Amino acid sequence: MKRNIIYLACGLVITLLFIIFNVNVYETAYYAQGFSDQFFNLGLYTPVSLITAGVAWMGAAIYYFVINSVRFDRWYHWLLTLAIVTLLAPIVCYALNDYVFAKNDLMYITESINFELVNLAITAILFIVASFSMRWWSSNCRHTPIPQ
Amino acid sequence: MKLFIFAIGGTGSRVLKSLVMLSAAGVKPIDENGNPLSDLEIVPVIIDPHKSCADLKRTESLLNAYCQIRKQLHGDKVNARGFFANRIVKLHDLAAANTRTIDDSFIFNLNAVEHHKFREFIGYDTMNQANQALTSLLFADYQLENKMSIGFVGSPNIGSVALNEIKDSEEFKAFANAFTAGDRIFFISSIFGGTGAAGFPIMVKNIRQAQNIDLNNKEALRRAPIGGLTVLPYFSIDKGFDPNDRRIDTADFIIKTQSALEYYDDTLTGNKASSVNAIFYLGDKVLSRPYEYDPGDKRDQKDPAHFIELIGALAPFKFAGMADSSLSDFNGLPLPTKAFEYGLDKDTAEIDFFALGKGTRALIFRRLVKLHLLFMYLRTGFAGNIGQGYTEDNPRITREFLSSQFYRTLTTQFFNPYAEWLHEMLGNQRSVHLFNMGAENMGEAIFNVKTKKTLFGSKSVNNDVIKAELNRISRDNHDYDDGNVALKLLDLFDQAAEKICAERFDNIN
Repeated sequence: MKRNIIYLACGLVITLLFIIFNVNVYETAYYAQGFSDQFFNLGLYTPVSLITAGVAWMGAAIYYFVINSVRFDRWYHWLLTLAIVTLLAPIVCYALNDYVFAKNDLMYITESINFELVNLAITAILFIVASFSMRWWSSNCRHTPIPQ
Repeated sequence: MKLFIFAIGGTGSRVLKSLVMLSAAGVKPIDENGNPLSDLEIVPVIIDPHKSCADLKRTESLLNAYCQIRKQLHGDKVNARGFFANRIVKLHDLAAANTRTIDDSFIFNLNAVEHHKFREFIGYDTMNQANQALTSLLFADYQLENKMSIGFVGSPNIGSVALNEIKDSEEFKAFANAFTAGDRIFFISSIFGGTGAAGFPIMVKNIRQAQNIDLNNKEALRRAPIGGLTVLPYFSIDKGFDPNDRRIDTADFIIKTQSALEYYDDTLTGNKASSVNAIFYLGDKVLSRPYEYDPGDKRDQKDPAHFIELIGALAPFKFAGMADSSLSDFNGLPLPTKAFEYGLDKDTAEIDFFALGKGTRALIFRRLVKLHLLFMYLRTGFAGNIGQGYTEDNPRITREFLSSQFYRTLTTQFFNPYAEWLHEMLGNQRSVHLFNMGAENMGEAIFNVKTKKTLFGSKSVNNDVIKAELNRISRDNHDYDDGNVALKLLDLFDQAAEKICAERFDNIN
């Protein structure tokens, strides 16, 4: 139990650090002149990081505690959930970016797609972090994707 | 407390088989306060000169499988719960290591008897003419020619002579040495045959008169609480192919029973001689399907399991749970014999759990259902669950477990006879229809029991439900840190099945 709490705490700290240092993380991973400056100026990094972290954690929670099924407890089921989550978060973020850019008469389609590809990888990492933070308490999926 | 159970003759072996099944299900004797006995050790001893008897061999094999499984699960611990809870030990294992002169077997060695014809055993040929004439009056020719290796063929007058040898045997001495104050003795025998009808009174006589024999623990034996299950006629036998061979005939059963009961009244249970503390009479006016005629030398007496044997197996449990004060006076001497009979709740040809009395249901219903769910799960779901869920919790259950001695003994040496036992009882008369044997859906496996209704149908019981429950219990349970994988599997299943019985099935109580 003690070990499980440590895993959860570590996961929460990593996610919190990501949200706090979202600009550094995103601009280190992807920087495009103009696009990144506008992204920063329009204050999009924080909502995007919150959406990304939220979808990743929500996705993991749904997998481990809502679905929590003996018929959906194999590693490939978890991988399918990861795929859905890592697609969902960038799509939602893209929709937000697009809406905000359009409102400001800006057009960065290629950069936005490239940015969301990077965000896709970040979502995947956060989903893994969330999975290893909370899976211990799942009755049916605690050994997914790999045994404890 | 040790409960020495002497199972005499073919009926003794078959009742003992049912007792092993009930013990495997986790049925335990209940004391007068309603609590399971915590210190019970069962010491079965099979007395039957007919060593090739199939019923005897099947029971012995089952006992050996039970002991192997139980040892792996609970070691030598006496007090255990769940499946295979009752500790069953051989008389051989109770004897001090340096004085083990008896066979490592559940079967009483009757070498002195079984290798002879009865006429050789009594020295008929060395008798003078007058004694031979007297002997010929007491024993028919076929009885004198009877090879005792096939038993006493429905002739208690042979058995009462031959089995008198028992008191001089090493086994009887080993039993006397192992018996201590506080232990109890129980006999299982039929009254309408040969071996059982004769063996029961002889054994009781030898125990009660132990002070006349050179034995240890004489006083304890003299005061020992003794119970007996006397099985009255319950099966019928086909006429044999040979119309002249009438050694065993259903038509004789009632008259034999009456004679033996009168004899028992005089020597065991009546006011003149209450040497038995409790006697359980069990029989049925509805006789079984006719069994193939076999005095013992045709097909080695392989008779199907029967309802009476299942109920009979509850008698030693009832006896073990009785208070000392209801059996013996303050000096430890037997009170007048208490007699018990058994009645069904519903007099029906097809017996389900609800035809049994409330007390019987409380004792066996849920336990047998749990054993049956385990049987189904191990056959259909378990192997596919390895590497997932609860099997990955420590201690891990790996694929190697499937080829372990424990698993193979459980699934083949125990559960094959279990399925056979259920099939035999189902096909017999009265038909015991506890489970739907062909059912693949666990929710439909218990005869006349449905799963609880929900808003959109009814609750399901299947391998997924069982796995989910095992996963949940395993997550919160860390009792198996000693690495006992077998105990983990069966103990988790016991808890999971308990919850499933309570939450998903209707009326399992």
